[in-house]
Amino acid sequence: MANFVKVIKPGLSTTVQDLGRPGHQIEGFPESGAMDKFSYKLANLLVNNHKNSASLEFVLVGPTLKFNCDSFIAITGGHVDAKLNQQPIKQNEVVEVQAGSILEIGQMTSGNYGYLAFSNGGVISQPVLDSRSTTLRTQMGGIDGRTLATNDNIPIRDSVVMPSLQARKIKVDFQTSTTVHFVKGPHWNMFSEQAQKQFVSQKYQISEQMDRMGYRLTGQPLDVPAKSLLSEGTVFGNVQITRDGSPIVLLADRQTTGGYPVIGTVIRADLNKFVQMKSGVNFKFVETDIQTATDKLVEQQRIINDTYEKWYANRYVEPIGPIRRNSIEIERLIRSNK
Amino acid sequence: MDYTYFQISEQSLVVEFPEQINVEENKLIQSVARELIADNAVGVTGVIPAYHTLTINFDFDLTSYNDLVNQIDEIISNSNDQTTTGRTIIELPVCYNQDFGPDLQDVADFAKVSVDELIKMHTSTDYFIYMMGFLPGFAYMGSVPEQIAMPRLEVPRKKIAPGSVGIAGAQTGMYPVESPGGWRLIGRTPVKLYDPANPVLKYQSGNYIRFKQISEQEYADIQKADANGEYELNVITEGGRNDG
Repeated sequence: MANFVKVIKPGLSTTVQDLGRPGHQIEGFPESGAMDKFSYKLANLLVNNHKNSASLEFVLVGPTLKFNCDSFIAITGGHVDAKLNQQPIKQNEVVEVQAGSILEIGQMTSGNYGYLAFSNGGVISQPVLDSRSTTLRTQMGGIDGRTLATNDNIPIRDSVVMPSLQARKIKVDFQTSTTVHFVKGPHWNMFSEQAQKQFVSQKYQISEQMDRMGYRLTGQPLDVPAKSLLSEGTVFGNVQITRDGSPIVLLADRQTTGGYPVIGTVIRADLNKFVQMKSGVNFKFVETDIQTATDKLVEQQRIINDTYEKWYANRYVEPIGPIRRNSIEIERLIRSNK
Repeated sequence: MDYTYFQISEQSLVVEFPEQINVEENKLIQSVARELIADNAVGVTGVIPAYHTLTINFDFDLTSYNDLVNQIDEIISNSNDQTTTGRTIIELPVCYNQDFGPDLQDVADFAKVSVDELIKMHTSTDYFIYMMGFLPGFAYMGSVPEQIAMPRLEVPRKKIAPGSVGIAGAQTGMYPVESPGGWRLIGRTPVKLYDPANPVLKYQSGNYIRFKQISEQEYADIQKADANGEYELNVITEGGRNDG
């Protein structure tokens, strides 16, 4: 029998996500992939997965799931009070799950996006165009291109007992901030000096119109350039100024091309906390340069890389030779007696 | 040809060519894009060729902005020696009538011609695909004869049926999935242009599309055959190099 987790309650909008399908933007397919890539990578790192293994991404309310096989899981991202068989479990650390267990993730108390990674390769749904990421608008990837529904069976792999995994945890301060750094966009100079000044001096809020495609911001409208543009490719974090003078920050499911002028691009190192910002919270855009942005991103990735190195050095190594055969037999006996 | 670079984020850059809609310029952009995603390009994670720009995403653990700039300079200087004469033309059947194309009469009136003459004008040109964007399989194509280049609707329609063929100024194109939109609709193709169950597209940027007029009966026949997986588009290859 195939291994899976059964969806008891789907949560608000839970989808399968990996790092997306950037190679198919040339054909017009949105990149998609995890919104908060730092939290997504951390979840995979905790359970020893490849960085492109698929996880469940949940929004504001997480799912309730029943496991039909053993697994190790990690929950990262916005804060939730998760329970395994009605016992509270912690985030940002590995939790062992036995077949028959029920995991309730519930309401998020900070942030917007959370991640649930499963050991031994994550969600193994059928990849579509090189990715398991769900793109709702084009109905592709994940589970039939849609959000999870009650009674779905999410395919995962059974996990062998790995004692070294159980000790894994990482301390993550959930970052909140009132500044968002950006680098100047290709159309910065098309805006008047007054509009440029206004963009960096005024307070913005994320409006209620926020989804995986983009966040529309509220603030005093900017004067928009009169000249119209030919459409160009978009990148994650582009800040477009629409005709009414208000910004939209383009995110994971953005359309591949756009014709509105791009005043700037939110830096990668700040995008993770940006997508987790609640609507209505005040923030300011602060300009930075590519070199600083790159240094910050490298620093953020170093946290992940160093943790990986440390864990890899202390990993559990299965015995070899006759001892290995014995250990496998012992493990089998333990499992059949459970 | 003049072009400039702009680093748009830590791991993406834009190569910008003169701002115009020009087949030769766009062919160069397409060839650079395809060369970069070929197996030998290290660190390039994705490319988006558009009318006059090429957006490139890269992994800075594997390559750098400077390496890519050098690589692109080399590709462009080599491509100047080559003549790309080949064309791939995909023939797309379209039924032009008032039901499928509610703006058919308006566009004919705009052009001051009969509906039959309008259809003849729309089908007499092979349209170059400058870019794919907006939706999977949405091809931005040009240019329609000036006479029929009617501007977009003032108020976009909320729902456009998949397969609808339209005109927006000098551009023409088809809606692969149901969506809102402001293009003037003149007909519809029975061919399923986007199938989420098998999302491999039937054409790509750099190809040409040739519209072929069909009757309502043929529309029904093709739609049925296509649904059963028994219909194949007619693909015409012209010239020596099959690179559009």
